Amino acid sequence: MIKLENVSMKFNLGVEKDFSLKQAFINILSFKRNKKKKDFFWALNDINLHIKPGEVVGLIGSNGAGKSTLLKIVSGVIKPTKGKVIVNGVISPMIELGAGFDHELTAKENIYLNGAILGYSKKLIDEKFEEIVEFSELRDFLNVPIKNFSSGMIAKLAFSIATIVNPEILIVDEILSVGDIKFQEKSKKKMMSLIKGGTTVLYVSHSLESIKELCTRVVWIEHGKIVKVGDTEEICDEYYNKQMN
Amino acid sequence: MIKSTLINVKKYSFLIQQLVIRDFKVKYKRSVLGIVWSLLYPVLMMAVMAVVFSQMFKFKVEGINYLVYLMTGLIMFNYFSEASSSAMISVVSNFSLINKVYIPKYIFPVSKCLFVLINFVLTLIPWLGIILLSYVGLGQYTCHLNIYYLILPYVFLCLFLFTMGMGLLLSCISVFLRDIIYIYGIIITIWNYLTPVFYSVEILPKDLQTIMGFNPLYRLLDAARQIVLYGQAPSLMNLIIIGLIGIVSLIIGGLVFKKNQNKFIYYI
Repeated sequence: MIKLENVSMKFNLGVEKDFSLKQAFINILSFKRNKKKKDFFWALNDINLHIKPGEVVGLIGSNGAGKSTLLKIVSGVIKPTKGKVIVNGVISPMIELGAGFDHELTAKENIYLNGAILGYSKKLIDEKFEEIVEFSELRDFLNVPIKNFSSGMIAKLAFSIATIVNPEILIVDEILSVGDIKFQEKSKKKMMSLIKGGTTVLYVSHSLESIKELCTRVVWIEHGKIVKVGDTEEICDEYYNKQMN
Repeated sequence: MIKSTLINVKKYSFLIQQLVIRDFKVKYKRSVLGIVWSLLYPVLMMAVMAVVFSQMFKFKVEGINYLVYLMTGLIMFNYFSEASSSAMISVVSNFSLINKVYIPKYIFPVSKCLFVLINFVLTLIPWLGIILLSYVGLGQYTCHLNIYYLILPYVFLCLFLFTMGMGLLLSCISVFLRDIIYIYGIIITIWNYLTPVFYSVEILPKDLQTIMGFNPLYRLLDAARQIVLYGQAPSLMNLIIIGLIGIVSLIIGGLVFKKNQNKFIYYI
């Protein structure tokens, strides 16, 4: 179950320039805080959302609407400025594959490292090791440092590690079809089986077709606000028409 | 709070372990001697410094083995400087990861301190070797192994806690103020000279000696040296002080880190 109550997220835009010792020093000397800059924006503004267990919810909206921020808040990467987030269940965030790979290490070592980063236990990885290797089709390269891998091979490995568990809550940013044609089909099938396997899914995609195919409900976000929540077909069509005009 | 922290540490111990293993593998990659460097490096450093300070500058500390004096100071100070420096940049250099997956952020400085700690424990082997060699005439005086060596793990634990507290504090500051990475390089150099690593505190003027009491690293070094070189147990007072140094540092570092960790994400 995922529950968001009045969730708002503020980002400072000018924060990078602002923070130097020089600036801090100037601020101290001038006895005031730098007030003239108010470069912040609300990436999310008062979001209320309740996702029941087993629901497959699609998120749509144009680039920069706040979809990824929402995913990050649900997966706990960022804490919202305001509001409350309640998440019950083990989350598997597939926002970015292969985060935490060390390119100096071999594929085998990276399976353990990346697994640990995703929160798997040693026991689980030991058990699923064969399965991961089998799925990734990289058995012959297990002891090769992944810096020598092609990007496709790295993506295959990352995908195989990330999808090995059956999470209670699955967070997906775009359908993750990676690798060569054969692997793309395989990974797509795997994703489908994960999504249809009864888990709660929060799914971001720009492909309305896959949204229609998978989702039981759709949330349309624009400028950090929920425009509409409801029936998949209806909202997808409305969104499409709005975008095309 | 302490209980939940412990549960958390247990849950993420596998990750910490993996990060430490990663550091080890990456550190000695493509080197012929590999982990032997962990043993060899401090000995060679000590040899260089011994030649410079005891032969060229004629440093010596009356009545004790200067080589052991030097090496004890060196490995302990190096542990602190290396661990705190790498812990300092650990959060910033893992930003891309922090931005994508939820991981408790203290994992990074803690795993760095542990990684350097393992290295430190390895350096104890050549250190012990030098002490044993003093029996067969290495250096002017002999160091005697004694029962008080059993206190040493406690001293090292205090050093570790102190370093971890500093590491947490520094890694937190470095997120908001990248300049600290450069500033700290200077600070550690100054700190090195202000800590009696290669000289004896007795050569300092009296009032400076008093001020030295406020240097936590001096306290820690002194406790270890008292055991190793003089064969005495540090006074109970000193043992309590170094314990406090460790715990207070960890509490301050931990609290500052905990209070600010949710803001890290804005300073990427």
